Amino acid sequence: MITIIKFIFCFFIIGNSVLADANTKVAYELYEELRCLVCQNQSLLESNAPLALDLKKVVMDKIELGQSKGEIKKFLVDRYGEFILLKPKYSMQNILLWLGPILFLFIGFFVTFVFLRKQSMYKAEQLPLTKEEENSLKKILDNNVS
Amino acid sequence: MKNKLKYFYSYIPLIIFFILVLFFARQLILKEDPSELPSVLIDEKFPSIALSKLPGYKVFSNKNLINANGPSLVNIWSSWCVPCKIEHEYLMSMSNNIIIYGINYKDNKEDALKVLELNGNPFYAIGADRDGMQSINLGVYGVPETFIIDRDGNIRYRHVGPILEYDMEKIILPIINKIKQERL
Repeated sequence: MITIIKFIFCFFIIGNSVLADANTKVAYELYEELRCLVCQNQSLLESNAPLALDLKKVVMDKIELGQSKGEIKKFLVDRYGEFILLKPKYSMQNILLWLGPILFLFIGFFVTFVFLRKQSMYKAEQLPLTKEEENSLKKILDNNVS
Repeated sequence: MKNKLKYFYSYIPLIIFFILVLFFARQLILKEDPSELPSVLIDEKFPSIALSKLPGYKVFSNKNLINANGPSLVNIWSSWCVPCKIEHEYLMSMSNNIIIYGINYKDNKEDALKVLELNGNPFYAIGADRDGMQSINLGVYGVPETFIIDRDGNIRYRHVGPILEYDMEKIILPIINKIKQERL
């Protein structure tokens, strides 16, 4: 019985500290969008590197001061560069990054289209065999059977 | 015409291959480490940061950098940082000609003092950043890092990682000399 109470109590504490706090929710969203600069393909959320812990603290402090997500991101980009954002900005500089995949998809469509059309053209060009060709074909096939 | 086009098509894989070769060769020859970030603060004022004092040493603040007589280095180091030990001798050799300021990063006083006592002190002044929060304003993401500052207190270059002999001779000193020749 006591264990169960302890268990429920634990859940209550954890639930209270992690979920109930709106600030924490915003912070976690931000942690996921920011890159840990030490382990560069991890987000701050996934990383336990000392710098990541420091940056998490900075983010948390700023949220508690009432700063918006945009302001906090700007603060970090001003110091560490756009590289700290795991999701690149929609800017002219990044246009190829964002539109590149779509561009390649269309190139793929185009190549497929040209290829298929060429094939169907070859089919249309197919002529029936002449009498002579038919005869020689028959000869070859007959030879093979016997 | 059609044949010529077909002839061209057969070369496409080869062309793509050579483009890839150029792409990889560039990375191979330049030996750029893609994990090294360029500083966003290049040609910007050194940010104002509040550092605490290390007993027995002059305290460094960004006021030191404004209207300086010449270029200076700001080196971020720590007693627990092994690469810092490797670059220490190069800092010592440069400290005869250039003013080097130190930022002691997330260190404890006793260890930092011990290192300076044992290995020598290359720094003109030292500021301690006990919790690492001040260095975030500099965009520091690992120790050691070294910034080259010009007379006006602008950051001209950032070196990530230890300064080895090659870095000192081929990168750091040429930039320092270039700054020294400006406005003279």
